[in-house]
Amino acid sequence: MKYDVVIIGGGLAGVTAGIRLQKAGRKCCIVSGGLSLNEVPRQEFIAMGGTFLTGGRVLGGVWKGDVLESLVVSNLEGTGLCADNYILATGKFFSKGLVATMDNIYEPLFGCDVDFERDRSKWYDPDFFAPQPFEKFGVKTLDGRVLRDGVPMKNLYAAGEILAGDVDIVNSALDICSRII
Amino acid sequence: MQQDNISKNNFEQCLKCDLCTTVCPMKSVNPDYPGPKQAGPDGERYRIRDPRFYDLTLRFCLNCKRCEVACPSGVEVGDIIQTARIKYGRSAHALRNSLIANTDFVGSVATSHPRAVNGLADKPSFRSILDAFGIDRRRHLPQYASERFSKQFNALSQDGYARFVTFYHGCYVEYNYPSLGAALIELLNVCGYGVRLLDREKCCGAAFINNGLSARARINAKANAASIRKALENGSEDIVTTSATCTLTIRNDYDHLLGVKTDDIRQHVMLATKWLFGKIDSGEIRLAFREDWKGHYAYHTSCHMQMLGWQIYSIDLLKMIPGMQLDVLDQECCGIAGTFGYKKENYEYSQKIGEKLFADIARTGAGTVVADCETCKWQIENGTGIKVLNTIEVLLDALDIQKTRELNR
Repeated sequence: MKYDVVIIGGGLAGVTAGIRLQKAGRKCCIVSGGLSLNEVPRQEFIAMGGTFLTGGRVLGGVWKGDVLESLVVSNLEGTGLCADNYILATGKFFSKGLVATMDNIYEPLFGCDVDFERDRSKWYDPDFFAPQPFEKFGVKTLDGRVLRDGVPMKNLYAAGEILAGDVDIVNSALDICSRII
Repeated sequence: MQQDNISKNNFEQCLKCDLCTTVCPMKSVNPDYPGPKQAGPDGERYRIRDPRFYDLTLRFCLNCKRCEVACPSGVEVGDIIQTARIKYGRSAHALRNSLIANTDFVGSVATSHPRAVNGLADKPSFRSILDAFGIDRRRHLPQYASERFSKQFNALSQDGYARFVTFYHGCYVEYNYPSLGAALIELLNVCGYGVRLLDREKCCGAAFINNGLSARARINAKANAASIRKALENGSEDIVTTSATCTLTIRNDYDHLLGVKTDDIRQHVMLATKWLFGKIDSGEIRLAFREDWKGHYAYHTSCHMQMLGWQIYSIDLLKMIPGMQLDVLDQECCGIAGTFGYKKENYEYSQKIGEKLFADIARTGAGTVVADCETCKWQIENGTGIKVLNTIEVLLDALDIQKTRELNR
């Protein structure tokens, strides 16, 4: 199953990117992990001919060096999902875009490099209402592309909440789109 | 995730976020139903301590599995609820439920006297009797065929093919709608594949499970799993189906709910559209469509299709037809949930759930709806008056049979 772009995550960033790319004539597929609250944009994406997949979960990728060749998706045995470019928009902790253990924070699908504080005692601010340091943890990117072991991947981008630092969800998605288009 | 849990269905992973409740079709129309979070993981904590905490309103669960699709933590919410119903549920309508769930028995009787049964089904007096029995009089009953599908199949020759698949037809094709089975066989034959049936096919058991008759379901599950295993050993490449619900039941529920192991066969059981798409994708099958064919269709993703995540195969196949104008409907529940919507106490809820989908269909202006589920078909035809076809029927209708046969010789 071949698309121009496969977007992992059907939240605000994923659907924003999907609509933008579909508008530019790219054939897109969004694989939603369930957390998809954006009913109206989602319907717009589908009406534009985009494929919105629910029920299948991305389990990992098939790599050839720094190129992501296809996605392994639960239930889609045999076919998988292929694309020229991929966008990782799986969000942070709640949607399992990032997973925290007692001493580590990692990105579970591709093992992307994550920017976070090693010392766990610095993850939280004891003042409940203060900005929490863990909110800024996220995957590292270079020109929109995610890094694995410090090397930018050729065709895997990240957008939205999963990014490290202060994130503007919509603009980060649009920025990736302009790089792909 | 399951490896971190001490109980089944990822029960401990529930964060109490309530996303499942926001997608529950029943909760949105019935305030008496506690919703999937409370009925599932929340209630389970109490039920583990004392079975008397079992809540009778769990009977409202449609078993649509939309909660499982929505859960960001991978909790098998629907399976927790179904397991609780199997373990603790008691029904006030035992006789009706066992009859409505026994599709093989009812189907066998009805197809041996189809004219009498179909005639009766339209009679207001007979519907009043059924109504008193607990089957709502406003519901149109499915019509029964004059000859079972498997009998019709035996008259067809499947010799001369080098490759075979086995067709699990399910009760609906067998007793009510054999023409869908015939359409699939023609399509597969044109693509160069011979078709076989299972030695002994039984109802998948979905209706038994939903009506609390898990012991009966387990008997069918064991028989079907054995027959499927044998079919694969005898050289069938895969087991293809036309019903999303039967497929999901065999692939997931046999193991998750009934404890019948299917690890060795489940990946070979799939909807014919997934199978066909895979073959086209790998270049083994090529389809040619009629150039003069034109149609405006709306595709409805049934809840179990959504759970399987296979709507993309059916939608992409339909989009391959050059004259196709396809509107993909938003993934709403139609409300019938198999036998659920036939029951008198559920009819109103069932119709209320369907309203949004019916309005969406009307908005598209499509002349026909496509769905890979037979009970969605009944509900949509009942609610909108618009004809509903299976993806396979539409593909065959638009196919240039001569050309496709030559391409796959």
